[in-house]
Amino acid sequence: MANYSLAFRLMLILGSLLTVLFMIRRIRHSKIQIEDSIFWFLFSGFLLVLSIFPQLASLAAKALGLQAPINVVYLSIIFLLIIKQFFMTLRISQLDSKLKIVTQKVALNEEKIERKSQDD
Amino acid sequence: MPKLLVVIPAFNEETNIVPVVENLIENYPQFDYVVVNDGSRDHTAAICREHGYRLIDLPINLGLAGAFQTGLRYAAENGYDCALQFDADGQHLPQFIQPMLDEIEEGADIVIGSRFVNVKKPRTLRMVGSYLISWAIRLTTGKAICDPTSGMRMFNRRMLEEFSTNLNYGPEPDTISYLIKNGAVVKELQVEMGERMSGSSYLNFARSVEYMIKMGLSILFIQWFRKRDTQTPYLERSL
Repeated sequence: MANYSLAFRLMLILGSLLTVLFMIRRIRHSKIQIEDSIFWFLFSGFLLVLSIFPQLASLAAKALGLQAPINVVYLSIIFLLIIKQFFMTLRISQLDSKLKIVTQKVALNEEKIERKSQDD
Repeated sequence: MPKLLVVIPAFNEETNIVPVVENLIENYPQFDYVVVNDGSRDHTAAICREHGYRLIDLPINLGLAGAFQTGLRYAAENGYDCALQFDADGQHLPQFIQPMLDEIEEGADIVIGSRFVNVKKPRTLRMVGSYLISWAIRLTTGKAICDPTSGMRMFNRRMLEEFSTNLNYGPEPDTISYLIKNGAVVKELQVEMGERMSGSSYLNFARSVEYMIKMGLSILFIQWFRKRDTQTPYLERSL
């Protein structure tokens, strides 16, 4: 079973480095919270491991009965991104309801203050 | 004496909050305090109101970092000279506040109430994380912090202004390591801690692992790349 090509490995490395670079720039300029960047650092670490040790993908391909190691790369990336997507959906939904609660609270407080000043 | 605000973040602490705050009010009336209720689902806020405690009631749950930051903003906007992070579950003992305050007066930026300055850290499973974080801080800053996960920390005016307005300034060991690297004076003072009165700790095994990965990556890798902005004065930032 043939491993994936050198060109593809270099592409993986490039992708991984660009991800890290992009995240570091955001952190440097205080544009992202560190906890939200952790996934992307781990993700690029994973890409780096796959590009340096293609034998790992071959082993996994054999174990799973896949035709080529490159399918392991595709499959694992898709899997990780779907998991991430799932948790992002949860998080957005929670943010949405939190925003609703906060907006209602602000508006109710505002009304309370206005009513008080009218009574005075 | 510098004007101190004791910030008490509280999340679902209806059983512990009364004895903790009553102890402060009765025995340490010289210190101001504020309870920050972090969107608790129990009666924490109602109990605080009933007793007339000074309370900031967050309408949603922000997490410890967000709740504590609220307290620090309150301190910054109301002219306090320093602020103390103080647990609502009875683990932190107020007799150590004055000694910590003395360290601030002697010029420390941050004082950590530490369990392991003169006492050997136990080699238990629970302390593995603490050992690893100490090691990571030592490796990256060259400074020994014996009890990095202690939640009892005091901040001077400069620090509380910086903490209250910035992103990525959670009250966690990675922020401490970052500030040491940037020249902040961090001191540790030996304190004793009580057992939490009731309720269970927030940390379970999965959360601990997640916390360690976050802290490890953050201290060993991410903190090298951060840029610090201390040029803009607090008042201009908050406008």
